[in-house]
Amino acid sequence: MSDVFPKWTNRLPLMLIVGVALTGTAVTAGCWYYLTNKYANVGYMPVQPVAFSHSIHADQLGMDCRYCHNAVEKSWYSNIPASSVCMNCHSQVLKDDPKLALVRESYATGTPIHWVQIHKLPDYVYFNHSVHVNRGVSCVECHGQINKMDEVYQAKPLSMAFCLDCHRDPAAKLRPPDKITDLDWKPASPEQQQVDGAKFVHDWKVESLQNCSACHR
Amino acid sequence: MKTIPPSCPVPDTGPKYWRSLDDLADTPEFRQWAEREFPAGASELSDPVTRRYFVKLMSASCLLAGFGLTGCRKPVENIYPFSKMPEGYVHGLARFYATAMPTRRSAVPLLAKSNDGRPTKLEGNPHHPDSNGGTDRYTQASILNLYDPDRATRFMQNGTVRTHDDVIDFLKKFSDNALANGGKGLGFLAEQSSSPSRDRLRKIIADKLPQARWYEHEPVDFDIHRQVATAAFGQPVAPYFKIDAASVIVALDSDFIGGEDNLHVNIRRFAAGRRTRTSGDPVSRLYAIEGLMTMTGANADHRLRLATSLVPAAAALLAVEVLQQTGKGPADDAVQSLAKSFPGDKAWIHECAADLVANPGAGLILAGHRQPTVVHLIANTLNSALGNIGKTVLMLDSPEPNVGSIADLARSLYDGTIDTLVVMGGNPAYDAPADLNWQQAQAKAKTVVRLGYYEDESFPQNGWSLPLAHFLESWGDARTADGTLVPIQPLIEPLFGGLTELEVLARIAGLDDTSPYNIVRETFRSAGGGDDEAWKHFLHDGYLKDSAAKPVDVTLNAQTVSAAIAGAGLTSVTAPSKDNLEVVFHRDYKMDDGRFNNNGWMQELPDPITKMTWENVILVSVKTANDLGLYRRNQENNRIEAAWAKIELDGRTVEGPVWPQPGQADNTIALALGYGRAQTGRVGRDSGYNAYTVRTTKNLHCAIGAKISDTGRLHSLSVTQDHWAMEGRPIIREATLAEYRDYKGKHPEGNFARGFDMEKPPSFEPLYPNPFDGPKFKGTGVHQWGMAIDLSACVGCASCVVACQSENNIPIVGKSQVANKREMSWIRIDRYFTGDPAKEDAIQVVNQPMLCQHCEAAPCENVCPVNATTHDQEGLNVMVYNRCVGTRYCSNNCPYKVRRFNFFDYNRRTLEQLRGPVYSTPLVAGGDQRGLVDWLKDPDRGNKPADEWELLKLLKNPDVTVRMRGVMEKCSYCVQRIEGAKIAAKVRAGASGDWMLKESDGTIPKTACQQACPAEAIVFGNIADPESHVSRLKAQDRDYNVLDFLNTKPRTTYLAKIRNPNPKMPDAYEMPNSTEEYENKNRANPFENEDAWPGANEARKGES
Repeated sequence: MSDVFPKWTNRLPLMLIVGVALTGTAVTAGCWYYLTNKYANVGYMPVQPVAFSHSIHADQLGMDCRYCHNAVEKSWYSNIPASSVCMNCHSQVLKDDPKLALVRESYATGTPIHWVQIHKLPDYVYFNHSVHVNRGVSCVECHGQINKMDEVYQAKPLSMAFCLDCHRDPAAKLRPPDKITDLDWKPASPEQQQVDGAKFVHDWKVESLQNCSACHR
Repeated sequence: MKTIPPSCPVPDTGPKYWRSLDDLADTPEFRQWAEREFPAGASELSDPVTRRYFVKLMSASCLLAGFGLTGCRKPVENIYPFSKMPEGYVHGLARFYATAMPTRRSAVPLLAKSNDGRPTKLEGNPHHPDSNGGTDRYTQASILNLYDPDRATRFMQNGTVRTHDDVIDFLKKFSDNALANGGKGLGFLAEQSSSPSRDRLRKIIADKLPQARWYEHEPVDFDIHRQVATAAFGQPVAPYFKIDAASVIVALDSDFIGGEDNLHVNIRRFAAGRRTRTSGDPVSRLYAIEGLMTMTGANADHRLRLATSLVPAAAALLAVEVLQQTGKGPADDAVQSLAKSFPGDKAWIHECAADLVANPGAGLILAGHRQPTVVHLIANTLNSALGNIGKTVLMLDSPEPNVGSIADLARSLYDGTIDTLVVMGGNPAYDAPADLNWQQAQAKAKTVVRLGYYEDESFPQNGWSLPLAHFLESWGDARTADGTLVPIQPLIEPLFGGLTELEVLARIAGLDDTSPYNIVRETFRSAGGGDDEAWKHFLHDGYLKDSAAKPVDVTLNAQTVSAAIAGAGLTSVTAPSKDNLEVVFHRDYKMDDGRFNNNGWMQELPDPITKMTWENVILVSVKTANDLGLYRRNQENNRIEAAWAKIELDGRTVEGPVWPQPGQADNTIALALGYGRAQTGRVGRDSGYNAYTVRTTKNLHCAIGAKISDTGRLHSLSVTQDHWAMEGRPIIREATLAEYRDYKGKHPEGNFARGFDMEKPPSFEPLYPNPFDGPKFKGTGVHQWGMAIDLSACVGCASCVVACQSENNIPIVGKSQVANKREMSWIRIDRYFTGDPAKEDAIQVVNQPMLCQHCEAAPCENVCPVNATTHDQEGLNVMVYNRCVGTRYCSNNCPYKVRRFNFFDYNRRTLEQLRGPVYSTPLVAGGDQRGLVDWLKDPDRGNKPADEWELLKLLKNPDVTVRMRGVMEKCSYCVQRIEGAKIAAKVRAGASGDWMLKESDGTIPKTACQQACPAEAIVFGNIADPESHVSRLKAQDRDYNVLDFLNTKPRTTYLAKIRNPNPKMPDAYEMPNSTEEYENKNRANPFENEDAWPGANEARKGES
């Protein structure tokens, strides 16, 4: 019999298998790394219409988070403050500064400022701020050191794994309720945190739910 | 609230990586071309394209359209806060406002839930003295009417659109004219209302425009109760039924559970008399005499199947018997003569009367609104004779409304006495009696002003059409059935600038202050309501304390009654026959009189008795259907087709599909009102036939002399429950009170319903142990949720079904999908007819709400390949929508079939597609590419037209996911409410452990179905707490699981239904039909017991 197929086709199946395996691994690895919240969302720092600096207001001036984000203790939604809140001070402080022109215009005309949303969870996740803020979870755990940010960026991945990391071990993250908005607070030591945290979990009957209905309704 | 990202914008600035194509990319023509999602091929370009040029273009357009790096940018999503924070507003928390839904001469007190400044759910007001927080199904569905894309949105004059200012000017001129000539020729046609503000304005108009006339029209009119009571007692009174105080209730064609006014009050009171805690508790007894199978008949202990036109004879015989047995003297001659023509079993009436007489002051005779005055007079006479007045029926002050009827108005229009017509609400061109020819009458008027909710049949081509505001957008007031004054508060500004009735009347009267708020405030002040503080309390509480009407002491004026009965001239009745059929017009259980025709929830709600959706049918009894040869059913491909027949009555015809109704009187035809509208919206189009076309002033309720003929055609119907039998499985367990007490006498500690003389279900462990079963996970939650449904209390009203649909964003699917068994409601009411179908007199009906049982050993959980359905620590079977891939194995495995699958993205399908085509993907939508392009531009909205999308979005509950195609859903025990309650408790507890939900604190959440149920049949709560209401119900001896032999260990259990037949009645039964069927099917020898297995012996003959 003469050769029906050229010689190189003998190696073809092996090449294909190796090729597919390598490509598959590469694609999988690529997705595993790039298509995650950690890669795609952490560090997202969009340009905001008004250059509001948290480091000036929260750190230097010492304003509490809840002065502006006042609904965070009552509602699932932590609100961006209305322009009237800004004007509480800025009707006198820097009252003609061009950087605040948009705020003054918004207050005068009623048009909202088009803030760019940074921390966004998918629609099928029902996260509730009030129950976390009132039960010992500080802003810094999920939002990072906001008080040191000039422009806010997303500091944590906010993926389901990130949430479960804390929900599986709340004792490592809970802090005394009066220290929630003290973003610079650190526990005396990791061991002390475990001890105190465990006490909080026990005393407050912290459920730290891991079943699906807690967040996915 | 989840913000929806806008479509990905092309960034203005961004690094340009392809310098070589810069020039090409920047020309305006290119940009225009490339920004189309689909550069649609060479035919768009005028020049022929070289291959090289084409490739350059494609890569550049891909880049610009988003395939390149600039397109990988995260889409910008914005947050738009307020510029000035509204006081007291917290985004994300719902607020509740007290309001009321006005019904014909009454109101339903409500707490309306408002999310983000718009109403999303209606609940009853539990603080109101005459309410337990339950509502009826009409109320639950009424919120969808607010967001109806087909509602009237524009001011029109003679077919051209006008502005609001034009209308104000016109009304000013109109008013000036009217005031100048004292209202000569002016007629108002309004719906009935209990509003004191409207009455006050009416008086003002009567003073200022003395020649103006006021007419009221309701196609379904309950005013006869008041009219007859006033006549009989010689005082302006109306009856209020305290059904819970009655031990014996006789309903003379009175569908007080399903079809009369104030259903939420009636059902609540009726259920209170049926619920038992122990076997020793008393149970009321309901006798129903009726021609149609109604919800009242379905719940009756004894039912006399008698044509509607013969009920007066039954009433007369009842009167004769009662008066004889109480020794109160013989009845009038007219009554006696009528009684003689009673064609049924006289012993039935005799024993029924005996029961009434044995319970003086604790009986109640109700006459239905369809019955002639004679029956109502008899009912009032008997109630008076038996001492029921003041105990089970209260007479409350009810001033004469002093209105003309629509027939009077039509006459005045035809002869020219009225030439200026103001129509407020209602739809007279659709529902006025056919012989009035209303379209013509209305056209006779020189000026017509119509304030209407839809641009419907009554839309005046020559005249003004003003959009009416929904009650959720209006200020107003009303009086509930017991006379308490309630406010109607708006939850939202009129979405389309609609006007309220009060404002239009005020403008026509030429008042200075036409703001409805001020009018209501003034009425409140003049009714002695009080100052501003009192007003604020009034609005907060939702009712005015101590404003309920005091019962009036009345005595029957025997002479007036006798004269009236004699004057009615009804001395005998003849039974309808095959050639002389009786036609009964009844208020539809879903459409009401037609006002809910464009309401998708109501259209899709299976009728509580026939389980028909999306249309009405011509109901006849099974025997009549067979006799007339109309029982033709074709069942191919699982679709039901029925014979299409033509009815002829007094020269008018109507055609519709014929449906056999077990338990309906022979030789009668029942026509449901409210369908077949000519001018309705996208939802109600082409649904059903119009019964109003054969309804005339002389035969508003019941007519004799109809003929029915088969047209030979078949018509397909969408019925959700065509199978009426339980097939010998004890799904619904019921017993007579005697059986119950007998059993408890023998087994004082036993569980009656579980025992039921049956073998114990086998006990076994599942083959594969559930990894979540066990002390570390399951049952570790602080609360353990469970539900108990009391079948004695449940009347099958379906408020729970509509409430669930409202709360959980459940879509409607349309007629053809319902025929494919793809309806989406999470809770359904299973209705079974029990008994021998050939013995229609003895048919019984049972109802059972069926929802996810949240089984502890759920068969659906182990079979999900992606673990989308799991169990949580508190006992809920949880459905995770985002994980579901749509295998549908869980639904396959569910023995209760309570899982619903979203086949065609019903939430995003346009309303046009309710009638097909079946598929809704953009590839099929309209067949053109535009649909696909639209879809890609705004994937959330898809092909839905802007008005549907914008409005129906507002209705959705933000706490519940809106599910997409391919996802399974089911009852979640309102997990959003449970989580909401737990979160609120934890927030309140803060740094403490005291957050457990307790019934004593009132923190235990109510599921939507529980909250809406007027009968309090559904009880949800914490079964880990032995003192909770649900635990105590489950501990009752009537508690059982459905399909317990499957060992699914459901958290939802049922309490067996107790019937209370009178052993002396001729149709008394020892055990309910379903139990008998169960006994027959499971214990009887099929070859010896012909009844149990008809045809078994025949089949045996076939063997050998």
